[in-house]
Amino acid sequence: MAAGFDLELRYALHPQVAVRPEPFGALLYHFGTRRLSFLKDPRLLEVVQGLAGAPSAHAACTAAGVPEAELARFARALATLAETDMLEVA
Amino acid sequence: MTDEPTPAVEPADSTEIETAAAPAVEEDLLVEDVSIDGMCGVY
Amino acid sequence: MRLVDQFERGLDAPICLTWELTYACNLACAHCLSSSGRRDPRELSTVEAKAVVDELERMQVFYVNIGGGEPTVRPDFWELVDYATAHKVGVKFSTNGVKITPVVAERLAASDYVDVQISLDGATAAVNDAVRGTGSYATALRAMENLHAAGMRGFKISVVCTRHNVDQLDAFAALADRFGAQLRLTRLRPSGRGADVWDELHLLPGQQRQLYDWLVEHGEGVLTGDSFFHLAAYGSALPGLNLCGAGRVVCLIDPIGDVYACPFAIHENFLAGNVRSPGGFAGVWRNSELFGSLREPQSAGACGSCGAYDACRGGCMAAKFFTGLPLDGPDPECVVGHGATALSTVDRLGAPRPSGDHSHAGGVRGGPVPVTIGRRRPQPHACDESPLAGIGAGG
Repeated sequence: MAAGFDLELRYALHPQVAVRPEPFGALLYHFGTRRLSFLKDPRLLEVVQGLAGAPSAHAACTAAGVPEAELARFARALATLAETDMLEVA
Repeated sequence: MTDEPTPAVEPADSTEIETAAAPAVEEDLLVEDVSIDGMCGVY
Repeated sequence: MRLVDQFERGLDAPICLTWELTYACNLACAHCLSSSGRRDPRELSTVEAKAVVDELERMQVFYVNIGGGEPTVRPDFWELVDYATAHKVGVKFSTNGVKITPVVAERLAASDYVDVQISLDGATAAVNDAVRGTGSYATALRAMENLHAAGMRGFKISVVCTRHNVDQLDAFAALADRFGAQLRLTRLRPSGRGADVWDELHLLPGQQRQLYDWLVEHGEGVLTGDSFFHLAAYGSALPGLNLCGAGRVVCLIDPIGDVYACPFAIHENFLAGNVRSPGGFAGVWRNSELFGSLREPQSAGACGSCGAYDACRGGCMAAKFFTGLPLDGPDPECVVGHGATALSTVDRLGAPRPSGDHSHAGGVRGGPVPVTIGRRRPQPHACDESPLAGIGAGG
């Protein structure tokens, strides 16, 4: 497992994760770890849903309309999801 | 598992200054995470 | 906005919920939150239960905690579990272990989407069986052995903390280690038959502190179902949301399809509707007046001026309700002591009684016959003899 999250890699949702869109963003539930993640921004949901189809996490962020100024913040969010196994390197 | 979470970049300060209009709250975390056993009313 | 704030306002669908499949049970535990024992003839049929699963799938409820009574005594138990997991609803079921044979254990070990929770209220037979009945400890241990032998790791051992088992916390942890299980400690509420034994069994103030300290020191990896958020007033909050999820993110569906805010609040004041109504479960969850009012900001009431309120949020609605305390005041086990004060002046005998009573007539197996003067008087019923009365052989 990588020592940190790398925006330039391609990621995907772990196959055991269920995604439930919500007005505030989304709920993600991992059936293996039984952890619940709460995404607090609808754009983050869009990023997460676009990860597998994008060449990199960075590209997925751009496609979801995340400005460069917020990229670090989104990267931290994605890193948290990767650390809790919600995301895996594709 | 990762034991040393080194964030990819750390210009956190400049990011936060530029997005100062965003609600500060406690921190700007976009993800919150909890064990699903972590709410009351279910046995 | 914090996750907790969002959850307090409710969601369009529960995150998970408790589903009591039957009131039938082979045991007669003294503190049963659902007053179980005898099957209610109005139980949801297999077809009706599957329709509920279909709704949960559409609403994307992540999983159900199946309980009862003893859910495995329903002849269609496995059919329903398989149906749920095939329809993307995860299952955890709570059991006293009576049907966890080696074959069943193998099946569970092989499934990714089914989790099991064995109930145990004493680390020794003496302590356990006093509450759950003669032989219940042996049944639970046998189930755990079978699960462990089948390679199932991480099943739960779920303990209701009482005055008599609070000194056994290390022993419970050792049991969990021995069987490759995860320990879960939960709060005794004065719910169901729990109302009758609460005075004798609930933790004394010093014991609450003992439990809190143990959880802080040894509780990493110990689940609590967030049931001790009233203890947050001692100091730092325990892991969890420290939030009452009732009617907001969780609820109960009972064996006859009644929807309550919480499995600890089976009473008409907390009854939101029934899944058999035209709008089904979704209609109840989204439109019931009760849930609407629970999703409004709650008043701190008498607790408003207490510095601990931010941490404890006034404690447990069900604990207050069934001890006769007002909902906008202290929890009966308020760690600051306000609850004890309130209890000393409230009319305990006039406190609300749980709605239904499906108890067997005899009380805890092997235990003293309970004195029930002025309280429960179960009507003679075929289901008193056998929880499976009227259902075909097997199960």
